Amino acid sequence: MNIYRIAALSAVTLAASFASSGAFAQSKCGLGNGKKADGEPIAVGAVVGKTGPDDFSSSAQAAAAYFKCVNENGGINGRPVEYLVADDQWNPETAAQVASKLVKDRKVVALAGNTSFVECGANAKMYSDEGVMVVAGTGVPRECFNAKNYVPVNSGPRISATIAAMYAAQAYKSKKMVCIIPNIPSLGNWACEGPKAWGKANGVEVETIAIDPGSADATSVMLQAASKKPDTIIMNVPKGILVPMLAAAEQQNLGKKIHFVSAAPAYSADVPKAIGPYWNKNFAVNLEFNPLESKGPDNLNWQAVMNSHGAKTDPRDTFSQAGYLAARLLTETLLKMDAKKIDRASVTEALRKVGDFRSDILCNPFYVGAGSRHNANNAGPMVVVDGNGFTTVSKGCLMADDPELVDVRADEKKLGLK
Amino acid sequence: MTPISIASPMAIPPSIDALQIALDRVRRERLRSLLVMLGTLLVLGTMLPWLANAYWTKTFSSALALSVAAAGVGLLYGQLGLVSLCQFALLGVGGWVALRISHGSGLPFELCVLAAGLVSALVGMLAGLPALRLKGLYLALVTLMLAGGFQVVITVVGFPDGGPGWLGRVEGGERLLMARPAVATSDSAYLRYVVLWLAAVLALIELHRRTRAGRSWALIRRGEAAALGAGVNVLLYQTWAFALAGFCAGVGGALLAGGVGQLDGRAFGASESVMLFALSVVGGVYHWLGAIIAGLLLRAVPALLTDFNVNGFLAMVFFGAALLHALITAQEGVAGQVLSLLHRVRARWTAGSAP
Amino acid sequence: MPDLLPFVISGLGVGAVYALSGVGLVVLYRSSGVLNFAFGALGALGAYVAWSMLESGWPQALAWAASVAVAMVLSLAYGRLIAPHLAQRNPTIRGIGTLGFALVVLGFTEWFWGEQPRRLVLPTDAGALELADVRLTYTRVIGLALAVAMMAGIGLLLARTRVGLKMRALANDRDLSALLGIRVLQVDTVAWVLSGAFAGVCGLLLANIVRLQATLLTFMVIPAFAAAIIGRLESLPATVVGGILIGVLEAVAIVVPGLASFRSATPFLVALLMIAFHQSNTRVA
Repeated sequence: MNIYRIAALSAVTLAASFASSGAFAQSKCGLGNGKKADGEPIAVGAVVGKTGPDDFSSSAQAAAAYFKCVNENGGINGRPVEYLVADDQWNPETAAQVASKLVKDRKVVALAGNTSFVECGANAKMYSDEGVMVVAGTGVPRECFNAKNYVPVNSGPRISATIAAMYAAQAYKSKKMVCIIPNIPSLGNWACEGPKAWGKANGVEVETIAIDPGSADATSVMLQAASKKPDTIIMNVPKGILVPMLAAAEQQNLGKKIHFVSAAPAYSADVPKAIGPYWNKNFAVNLEFNPLESKGPDNLNWQAVMNSHGAKTDPRDTFSQAGYLAARLLTETLLKMDAKKIDRASVTEALRKVGDFRSDILCNPFYVGAGSRHNANNAGPMVVVDGNGFTTVSKGCLMADDPELVDVRADEKKLGLK
Repeated sequence: MTPISIASPMAIPPSIDALQIALDRVRRERLRSLLVMLGTLLVLGTMLPWLANAYWTKTFSSALALSVAAAGVGLLYGQLGLVSLCQFALLGVGGWVALRISHGSGLPFELCVLAAGLVSALVGMLAGLPALRLKGLYLALVTLMLAGGFQVVITVVGFPDGGPGWLGRVEGGERLLMARPAVATSDSAYLRYVVLWLAAVLALIELHRRTRAGRSWALIRRGEAAALGAGVNVLLYQTWAFALAGFCAGVGGALLAGGVGQLDGRAFGASESVMLFALSVVGGVYHWLGAIIAGLLLRAVPALLTDFNVNGFLAMVFFGAALLHALITAQEGVAGQVLSLLHRVRARWTAGSAP
Repeated sequence: MPDLLPFVISGLGVGAVYALSGVGLVVLYRSSGVLNFAFGALGALGAYVAWSMLESGWPQALAWAASVAVAMVLSLAYGRLIAPHLAQRNPTIRGIGTLGFALVVLGFTEWFWGEQPRRLVLPTDAGALELADVRLTYTRVIGLALAVAMMAGIGLLLARTRVGLKMRALANDRDLSALLGIRVLQVDTVAWVLSGAFAGVCGLLLANIVRLQATLLTFMVIPAFAAAIIGRLESLPATVVGGILIGVLEAVAIVVPGLASFRSATPFLVALLMIAFHQSNTRVA
């Protein structure tokens, strides 16, 4: 063999070994057949709150990565997914405009990976009127969990705070708690009612303090919470407000007298470093999904998809997990349909029939159902801040015991789930 | 012959006939400019819904609703030199009233808009009371404080969305959208409807400017002493200006609520009132075209940047720079620049056609 | 009656924030005639620069110096390059010009650093004064002390020095001052640099006491205007007292059941009440 053939052969061998050795672990998505999809595109949309008090766009980024992977692996029975993401800039007016653009101008068959503070309230009715389903990544205010056509994959701040309260009662034997929540309508009067209602049924007194998220004075809030002499304080605020409030609590040395727990927003890689060593092993957080570093096959697949088809700068956080799940759910639903008959009405009908979507990222099987509201994810584990990261402290997932879930539990029974 | 000073340029007093001719000419010009305004809005009303897709139809509805409010800001600043930094808060008040009445009693849309305008006019008059004693920067700061107060209140209270009670908020159910007017339920029809209201409000303002009110305002602007000396009731006309500006804001708020369907308390910060004033000045406060441009700047330009996926914060940088540029180079606003351009074009044309 | 004393003490910390910002605003207004909307934005940018430097391991003093320097340079740039173009317009338009500048700085800061919870930790956070079950960290005590010191220092500067006299003249009537032979550019430079330095220092303290978040810090100028109004835009001692009063009232309002949700409106309410009771004050600004 001449030198050129040797060189070429070595190059090919090297390339092949790289591809198979898992310099990136193998990402599995869609049909997984390695064929590029080149049929008629299927339009799928997403509305995320990117520009504003926080950047929630990582769920759409994860969904985009998954759809890209799907398009390179046979698509939806040969048809690629055209994923259109819009930024609502945390403004309900803008949310209505961009949703109009996606639903009425671009005629998307469904939306997946939405994460926004404002779009549920602004758009739920329009989605319902237009008959389009939204498999959202993360929903926050009450409207996201009370709409016919909106299916959040996460559990929501009410469930999350309830589980945190349940853990505090279990682990710290707390009998009196204070729940802190921003006073935004449909969040301030809803999310802390979960712990309150649960507490009423279980002999735990829970008081609510609604705060102004734009206030400059975190110290007074912590002093007021402490003045009620609770055993536990439940923080149910976004991480941007959480950090200065914990800083104020640290300055008043409240962490040594009162247990602090939090709902899911605190679970983020930058929080332990920001809140500092005072809270080491002293701050427990509820998760809406299983931890980011868990070794289950679907969680590893999520990381693989992000590595192979996502950008390096895309955050690998819980929103990303949620976006991946939403995209996967929609893809598997579409794959079961006749590729030539994919339109909005048939997709909506197929999504409502989803009854047993499993993933090790989720605690329990996920479902959609034909109910008037959706909150299928209502369990999660608890972790505690440990150094610059988190460590699991609960034995597996805790299921929320929120009295408001009675209709959801009835739907679950109807679908034949436990 | 009456004694005349040689230095005076009007050396010969005009005869009665010349005066009559001049007045007739002014009257014709005014009528023509009013017709030009109505004609422009007619063109907008027919072309925009036809050309725009769903995204842009909604955007233009919001933009022109804000133009109504900007007209009020321009009225106060252009005619009277008074700075009001709380007009967006008054827009919120109007929106709140419209939503509450619409959800609560199901009255026709037009009545809701008028009620919103009336309530905002009353509140605007109250906000204008300090203007009787304070001027300039101090008045601006006082109105800013009012806007700040409204921001806190509306964030807590929220906007009505179909529920019962004073606040009209729904608990645990789906939030309702405001009922559209009977004649304009689709988005395109609603855009035309908004243009109609804009035309009506602008015409109302023009009417004021050409009658006694406008003359009184011009005198008040010169100075209270001059106004009092000429027999103008300063209290009445100044308060009336604030009421009218409040009416514009209220109508704008009601139209915005109807377009989007619901309003959110977080979108009514004090900074919005400041931006409304700033962009009204950039648009131009001395002409009705300025109000239209202000509305477009407030909603259409950001929508354009969003459509091109420009990062929202980079868009903010662009806006700030554009604001500075407009303030420095264009005293009469963009409208002034457009009008002077048109004037030059027309002058060149008539100069070219004349021998 | 719930114990109010802890909230009064805690309110002093917030009051320092309002007092500092208010003094910074009034200082620039009295020395250049411009009400600076960009005060908060410049401070925020300086604070982010300091945070980045501290994260990279630079020494504390250097980070603070850099923070103040950045604010000073930008303030000077605006004052020398852009403000002169608006010098002939009325004060409100000049204020709106600074708003444009604030948007540019804010947009850049948010775009460059992105949204991520950050905390600016200063070494003075470690120690605290214990009063009535409330711990007042040394940072807040320094904030209060600085507000008083700035008030005294600038008051002296404006009243007793030549530069101060020239600044006041320039703010009063720019053209006349130029005719009288005052070196307009020189005095302008001093005024804007001074304002920038204050913005930088305030930014550091506010980022520590409130939150290191650019949009919030930028729009804290609006409650700061309330403190400035209480000082009638001219009296520094009244501004400081006003700021502290607002802070204390806002903190105490949290124990009043009905008012707790609305307590962020305290600065605006107090300012409006002051206006109402000072009706005799027909200010023409």
